[in-house]
Amino acid sequence: MSEEVKALESMIGEEYKYGFTTDVEYEEFPKGISEEIVRELSKRKNEPEWMTDFRVKAYHAWKEMEEPNWFNATYTKPDYENMLYYSAPKKKPQLDSMDDVDPNIRETYEKLGIPLEEQKMLAGVAVDAVFDSVSVFTSFKEKLAEAGVIFCSMSEAIQDHPELIKKYMASVVPVRDNYFSALNSAVFSDGSFCYIPKNTKCPMELSTYFRINNMNSGQFERTLIVAEEGSSVSYLEGCTAPMYDENQLHAAVVELVALDNADIKYSTIQNWYSGDENGKGGIYNFVTKRGICKGKNSKISWTQLETGSAVTLKYPSVILQGDNSIGEFYSVAVTTKMQQADTGTKMIHLGKNTKSTIISKGISAGRSQNSYRGEVKIGKKAHGSKNYSVCDSMLIGQECGAHTFPYISSENPSSSVEHEATTSRVGEEQIFYLMQRGISEQDAISMIINGFVKDVLKELPLEFAVEANKLLDVKLEGSVG
Amino acid sequence: MSEVIQKETMLSFIDGEINSNADSVAIRAINVRGKEALENTPFPTRKDEEWRFIDLNTIKKNSFTAVSEANAVDVGDISNHYLPEALNTRLVFVNGIYNEELSSISDLPNHVIVGNMSEYGDHDAVKEHLGTITNYEDDAFAPFNDAAFEDAAFIYLPEETSVEAPIHILNVFTDADKAFYATPRLLFVGEMYSKATIIEEHIGLANNLYLNVPVTEFRLFAGAHVHHARIQRDSKSAAHVSRPIAMIDRNAEYHSYTICLGAKLFRNDPRVIQNAAEVDFTVDGLVLIDGDQIADTHSIMDHRFPHGKSHQLHKVVVNDNAHSIFNGKIFVAKDAQKIDSFQENRNLLLSENGKVNTKPQLEIFADDVLCSHGATIGHLNDEEVFYLHSRGLTEQKSRELLVYAFALESVESMEVESVEKLLLEEVIKYTTRD
Repeated sequence: MSEEVKALESMIGEEYKYGFTTDVEYEEFPKGISEEIVRELSKRKNEPEWMTDFRVKAYHAWKEMEEPNWFNATYTKPDYENMLYYSAPKKKPQLDSMDDVDPNIRETYEKLGIPLEEQKMLAGVAVDAVFDSVSVFTSFKEKLAEAGVIFCSMSEAIQDHPELIKKYMASVVPVRDNYFSALNSAVFSDGSFCYIPKNTKCPMELSTYFRINNMNSGQFERTLIVAEEGSSVSYLEGCTAPMYDENQLHAAVVELVALDNADIKYSTIQNWYSGDENGKGGIYNFVTKRGICKGKNSKISWTQLETGSAVTLKYPSVILQGDNSIGEFYSVAVTTKMQQADTGTKMIHLGKNTKSTIISKGISAGRSQNSYRGEVKIGKKAHGSKNYSVCDSMLIGQECGAHTFPYISSENPSSSVEHEATTSRVGEEQIFYLMQRGISEQDAISMIINGFVKDVLKELPLEFAVEANKLLDVKLEGSVG
Repeated sequence: MSEVIQKETMLSFIDGEINSNADSVAIRAINVRGKEALENTPFPTRKDEEWRFIDLNTIKKNSFTAVSEANAVDVGDISNHYLPEALNTRLVFVNGIYNEELSSISDLPNHVIVGNMSEYGDHDAVKEHLGTITNYEDDAFAPFNDAAFEDAAFIYLPEETSVEAPIHILNVFTDADKAFYATPRLLFVGEMYSKATIIEEHIGLANNLYLNVPVTEFRLFAGAHVHHARIQRDSKSAAHVSRPIAMIDRNAEYHSYTICLGAKLFRNDPRVIQNAAEVDFTVDGLVLIDGDQIADTHSIMDHRFPHGKSHQLHKVVVNDNAHSIFNGKIFVAKDAQKIDSFQENRNLLLSENGKVNTKPQLEIFADDVLCSHGATIGHLNDEEVFYLHSRGLTEQKSRELLVYAFALESVESMEVESVEKLLLEEVIKYTTRD
């Protein structure tokens, strides 16, 4: 404990640890959005015609749509005409070893603490590091290839595996699903594609680090994971971003497809720049994440730790189509300063005997607003389905707010839904109890908060769980007590 | 080519002018206010968050006239609906119009008023409180009542008085040639440390279509205690949209229980506003629906000051093609510390074609609070059914008994014996199916 606290203390004052920019030359691209821009973007990425058509169609769909405003958050709408839709390091290096990587980029990774060089030894984690929009480096490819797993950037996948992309892209999140998914479909820059063949257990945990680095470059990532029959995969995603004053938009789309008996676990740590004390700057995180349990006995599990971004609108969902399929959502959302988070999940039960679990923990401090918005829907034919939801909120300080908006509906008399939610503060009695046993107030509070979120953090892969705990402590340092 | 879409208002479904001829200046002022608001408030659509799940066709597909135009039949003998505990503390309104003959109010302590508001239009409490707390934002229904009501129940309790007998406000609706609208209204003002039990009933005597839009206002001053039971047994063809609101002061207690049995379309928006620290209130509900009934409750428990205690238990049983909707909001304002609020919504879905939507909602802006809610949608526990079955009850009877037990909890909080008995009969009638 005490060593952790020391480490913590050393971090205090470092407002945003990852707030730096790297000087890499960028191939400039005109600002704004139009059909020409979309076509140009597609051309620069050397995409086949069907992809260009997909983008142009999506662009027109987006044009017709209205920007939604039903969120429990207020913010200045992004200026879509003043945004850069494409940015990439000038040359895409073709590298075999780390030595060939641009030293500036390598330095960035080191500052971020991505142990690229030590990875093989350390964690057995293959990192597809996305530097801005274009993948720069992919490791462990050979090992994955041996198992038959395809793990590459979306751009590569479009070139090398068009049949898979055509089949699955936009099959879970249709282009017209919402305003931001339409925009993403038109201008997505890159992202990851992962395909696990039949009866294969992915030999390592896959992870991608996203990093927004170019001023005014909204990032439009697109991730697609397909788990064939009987396969399983665990995917980690972690994010940090430099400190900038202007709001940056991040409208990603993540699609997961699980076929019969497949199992996908998707974990996220999100710590983008959240703006300063007065709510100036910070990232807009408007992400559409959805998975479909297409096959029987399949399972999709979302775990997220949301600590960053000025505004977060994010509802990782699961469509439980296959009989006996399972959906899970574990979330910790922490808001401080002027942050606003409107996040939650959707569990749509369509198949028989489908089960879903939702554990959501919200912590609000400072002048932030933290909302849980969820939907649980039991369809007419989802016989014997079950849902269990818990969403607890903790308030720290008198200026913040916590909100719960769970939509629950059932049309099936053999199914059951249970939902409970509580809102409370760190109890004085609890603090007193711990202090009485010789633990300092700060440690006591930290312990209580760790206990509050334990149910969720234990779902994270080990490497992330350690990082997550530290992140929480740093985030809430100074707001309690 | 631009098409101007004329938004519908409440008036789109009203046949003829709304004319009220109240003598009282206070009532007329509210009538005028209501008319203005009506014209400017669009009728809700499914695009409105608060009206997302409800099918309003019972109102929208019809047109309603004033009672005077509807050729309503005589009320006849309704003594079977009188409560033995409230034989001399009863006000009767027939189709929203006060009926002096059937009312009886001889059994009251000094200075307590229970009567038709049009006789008390100059009373200070009416002038001061009528229509002051019914601020339903963007609402088409409260203004409709405002615009149309002439008669109203008025209950006034001076300081430190308590009325032992329950006060029975009996609204009955008769058969008629045309579909009509009715706007029952109730204003309750309880001065400091007063105490009363109010039984507000809505009974449809036939099976006709009518639109019942009641508004009830409860203003409780410090230390006042009120028990308010609302029993809705409207005709199964009728639409009932009600706006019961209470504002309560320090140490006041307001406990309300709404029982929904009738009406084809029932929409109820109970609200309790905490107007000072240290209050205790309840907003309970029991909904038993079957056939094509729709019941929608949108409640707000608005905690604006510290040290409030509140409780809500909303129980629902859905059978056949019925559809239940619940949205319970708990608000806690920024400085309203030490609020202890609990909300529970239990739904029993018994049929293939039934449907339940629920949205318990917490909006908390103070940190030192204890607020929680729970919601469940489920079916009867098979083991419980088996247990009863194994003891000799038929499966059918076992199920009926379990539904009965589920509803019982809400009935037992009625406090008035005859009302409890009446409700138990209603519950048995609902659960027993051939």
